[in-house]
Amino acid sequence: MIRYLAQRFIAFVPILLGVSILIFLAIRLVPGNAIIAMLGTEAGMLTENQRRALEAYFGLDKPIVEQYFVWLGNAVQGNLGLSVRHGAPVLDVILARFPITLQLSVMAMTIALLIGLPLGVLSAVRHNSIIDLFGRLFALVGLAMPNFLLGTLIIFVLSVYFHILPNSGDYVSFAEDPSRNLQQMIFPAITLGFAFSASVMRTTRSAMLEVLGQDYIRTARSKGLREFVVNRRHALKNALIPVITIAGVELGYLLGGTVIVEEIFSLPGLGRLVFNAISQRDYALVQGIALFIAVNFVIINLAVDLLYTAVDPRISYASKN
Amino acid sequence: MPVKIEPPVERRRGQGLLPRLLRNRSGTVGLALVTFYLLVGLFGLLGITPRPSLEQVPRDRLKPPSEQYWMGTDIFGRDIASRLMEGAANSLQVALLSVATATLAGTLIGTTAGYVGGRFDNLLMRVMDVFFALPALLLALLVVTVLGPGLYSTAFAIAVVYTPIFARVARAPVLSVKEMEFVTATRALGLPEARILARHVLPNTLAPLIVQVSLALSWALLTEAGLSFLGLGTQPPQASWGVMLSESRGIAELAPWLMIFPGVAIMLGVLGWNLLGDGLRDVLDPRLRGRES
Amino acid sequence: MKRHARIICILLLAALIGALPGLAQDESNTLIMARAADATGLDPHTQTAFASFRLLELIYEPLVTLDADLNVVPALAESWEFNDDATQLTLNLRDGVTFHDGSEFDSGDVKATFERILDEATAAASRANFLTIESIDTPDPLTVVFNLSQADVPLLSALASVNASIASSEAIESGAIATEANGTGPFILDEWVPEEQTTLSANENWWGEGPFVDGIEVRIIPDETSILAALRAGTIDFALLNDPLVATLLVDDPDIILNRAPALAYNVLQLNGRREPLDILEVRQAISCAIDRQEVIDTAALGEGEVTGPLTPPAFQIPTDELFCYQKDLDMARSLLEQAGMADGFTLNVIAANAEPPTALATAQNIQAQLAEIGITVEIESLELSVYVDRWLAADFDAAVAQNGGRPDPYTMYARYWTETGNLNTVAGYIDDTLDDLMAQGRAETDPEARYEIFAEFQRYITEMAPWVWLYVSPEYTAQQPYVTGFVPNPTDSLYSLAQVQLER
Repeated sequence: MIRYLAQRFIAFVPILLGVSILIFLAIRLVPGNAIIAMLGTEAGMLTENQRRALEAYFGLDKPIVEQYFVWLGNAVQGNLGLSVRHGAPVLDVILARFPITLQLSVMAMTIALLIGLPLGVLSAVRHNSIIDLFGRLFALVGLAMPNFLLGTLIIFVLSVYFHILPNSGDYVSFAEDPSRNLQQMIFPAITLGFAFSASVMRTTRSAMLEVLGQDYIRTARSKGLREFVVNRRHALKNALIPVITIAGVELGYLLGGTVIVEEIFSLPGLGRLVFNAISQRDYALVQGIALFIAVNFVIINLAVDLLYTAVDPRISYASKN
Repeated sequence: MPVKIEPPVERRRGQGLLPRLLRNRSGTVGLALVTFYLLVGLFGLLGITPRPSLEQVPRDRLKPPSEQYWMGTDIFGRDIASRLMEGAANSLQVALLSVATATLAGTLIGTTAGYVGGRFDNLLMRVMDVFFALPALLLALLVVTVLGPGLYSTAFAIAVVYTPIFARVARAPVLSVKEMEFVTATRALGLPEARILARHVLPNTLAPLIVQVSLALSWALLTEAGLSFLGLGTQPPQASWGVMLSESRGIAELAPWLMIFPGVAIMLGVLGWNLLGDGLRDVLDPRLRGRES
Repeated sequence: MKRHARIICILLLAALIGALPGLAQDESNTLIMARAADATGLDPHTQTAFASFRLLELIYEPLVTLDADLNVVPALAESWEFNDDATQLTLNLRDGVTFHDGSEFDSGDVKATFERILDEATAAASRANFLTIESIDTPDPLTVVFNLSQADVPLLSALASVNASIASSEAIESGAIATEANGTGPFILDEWVPEEQTTLSANENWWGEGPFVDGIEVRIIPDETSILAALRAGTIDFALLNDPLVATLLVDDPDIILNRAPALAYNVLQLNGRREPLDILEVRQAISCAIDRQEVIDTAALGEGEVTGPLTPPAFQIPTDELFCYQKDLDMARSLLEQAGMADGFTLNVIAANAEPPTALATAQNIQAQLAEIGITVEIESLELSVYVDRWLAADFDAAVAQNGGRPDPYTMYARYWTETGNLNTVAGYIDDTLDDLMAQGRAETDPEARYEIFAEFQRYITEMAPWVWLYVSPEYTAQQPYVTGFVPNPTDSLYSLAQVQLER
């Protein structure tokens, strides 16, 4: 087991290196300059000397390869550099916003599982019934509805018809005020979770259908086990594996893919941070966030693999090699 | 981790894809929606719209749907119906272009990697993993920022996002097929590798690829709309459904039709490709055949 | 697993239900303000973004300021006087003023401030406006004398700028000015979280009347539709709006007060006269004649705005019918193109920033449609703000849709563009002796009526040369709850009068 973990971790190193090189090169190909972006429309007054001094301060004056290795060396020690825009260490800036995105993603996933799992199971068990039809329609709408449309609609309906707004730029953390925090997060989470619940539903349904058609289920049924017990104890458990995969992959993407929802609902999370960082050419910040998200992603993948063993004892990593 | 090995698909003679697809409910609806969408897009592309999509009629601005303007007009007095058709053409171009690029590049990488195997395979797949480790939207955002916004860079960005997916989809069957008897046999006969790859290995990857293409098209549509919504996709005055939705946000309260029609259009478009993908999977994947009625 | 699911389910439901009756606002005496863009830095002398001004003008104060009618009124200077030939300006400073850190304000701070602004290494944004200052005398702690190299009447109104705010000499010496906000203004900066929130508290020791609120909480809500929603939901008290589309939704809203102030900033189609075929006078004139400015307003800004000539300060405006081709005249436009040998039209590349101002892309699109009528094919390049600014500064465009800041004085407003030595004169894309000469006369002239005439001539001349096509001014919008009283909208968009605001819930 430990050996497996170690192997997986080593396998991550090239991926993370690759991500860092990719981002590093990409952002330097971007037209526009962090300093200009920071100073805004009337930046014409900046003298050449002033500009060079600013560039030197943020380490933008060295050759690219040197910049990369300096950055890499620091990154290994946990120093991701200084954000031009925030005037603060990149890691601090990221860590301050990460909890919001994490909470949002976890809430979205919870909502998705709460809706998607039961609906998927019901649809499969009552195959071709009204429930199944409803479940599949729901899933199709969920898949086809872009989250920016849903978010915009939610805000539109809430504010125009109910005169309420989940969040108006005054985000409070769960620790500060749990009920207010949930009020602020619930609608963005629904927006994010809706499409997600659709894919959970579909995965659950098709996995269940597959499992239900298999011999051991028929055996269990013929043994006279009650339908409910069969479904729950045997079928669902086996159908969970693809659902876990989907959930894991989606959670990984959610952690970096909340840009639009955070933008629409004015939540100061990682997504909005990276969107601003890109448009403001805040190199260090974009690199830091990308690396951070990639690290998250690989960790989640690992967690998903480990979850398999918990769900399905037949899979065991210890016995490998 | 156990790798699921799928049996190679055999050609069924006398039973074309279309009739089979038409017996499938998802497939039928999906095909109908997609055909409609393709037709609308084609008309949009050829400029056969009720009015010129860029024509501004200032005295008719913000008119609700009427006989003259089926779907109303925007702040410039442009006809929404015509713009939706042009939008269909534009998002279709982006979607087709990006998915075609991704399919070609992905299949090439995936099959070659799977067929050659060894270190080469390992290296290519690690590179794909790098792209996988970044969320799709973030990756697309970066690519578009590098290239500057526009139709082609959006298409390229989406292609970059989907190439690794196609590479994986194409690689898996190759791995299982290449060790099968008929392949080893042809190899023993001394046929050139490329020909083996093209003649025998590739056809067996087709089924999962076709399904994936259809699903990817729905995702490409969504991603294009999302990027346009953030101001990075199709650029005004060119219409795209995402651009139209984004333009409508400020005044949807005053002119709800500006939001409703593009919103419905996006949903139907995505739905169509999705259903078609489902139908194709039902028809092409023998394991699931007969489940959906 | 199941029990957890149940608990989470209940929690979520509770949250949903809790959210529905509306979110109660606590009745504190803090003004909650929302805006879409955040400040980009804290150094009052180098900041150029409007969004930075809106924060810094609450914290720092200049020597003089402008009232709602653009008259120069006292701020840190109580009174002032030019000598007879306008080569010396003496200011008497306010007594008993302290900086937020407790140190006393005196003439030494004024001297240090202007020495910093004039030092080229500072890269101060308003340096060009103070180049006539030869030396600064401080005969006593409450008197400052600016000795000028030549007559410079516009100097006084140039002092009324965030970029000429007075900082403490200690902060300048230590360099703290770049990162710490320490002014004399009505509000003290407690915390600044970029792109999220800024917390200001009332300065109890402020010399003026007020502030009457305990503080201001500035929230950044990037999307103005959400700001609108927040206003309606009652979760914010006060908001800055840029997007006329959003503002129009508030016009008939009985529960929210929309303030419109005539603005100094102007929307313009800048033509780059150094590029072909825009170097031909008739081509530029044809473009000017082909554009119905009111139609641009009606479409791009939903009718929110006024057609403007080059000068936006009310005291210097002249009737638009005195300006060249302010009535759309397609025949004239076509014949002008013909004279230039461009009867078949040409392709014109126009750059526009994608959200700054919010109307930029719409403006470009309407101009595109209008210029098509005389055979000019406009290609719009929509750019992210930072890329746009890069290209704009490098004058790397055929034409640009821009919203440029105005100043109350014509000379300070345009010296950077329309003089031989102006630092943005390449961006302006055109210069000739007549323009340079008119600007020089305007700077030196002390008689108000004669100045008005000089600048009226300037406007007639420049619209005829058509280096740019001036389009319209959009109003500056603020919106507030009815219980917010005492705010006076200012054409410079200044929020300084928030010091007088009271909350009467």
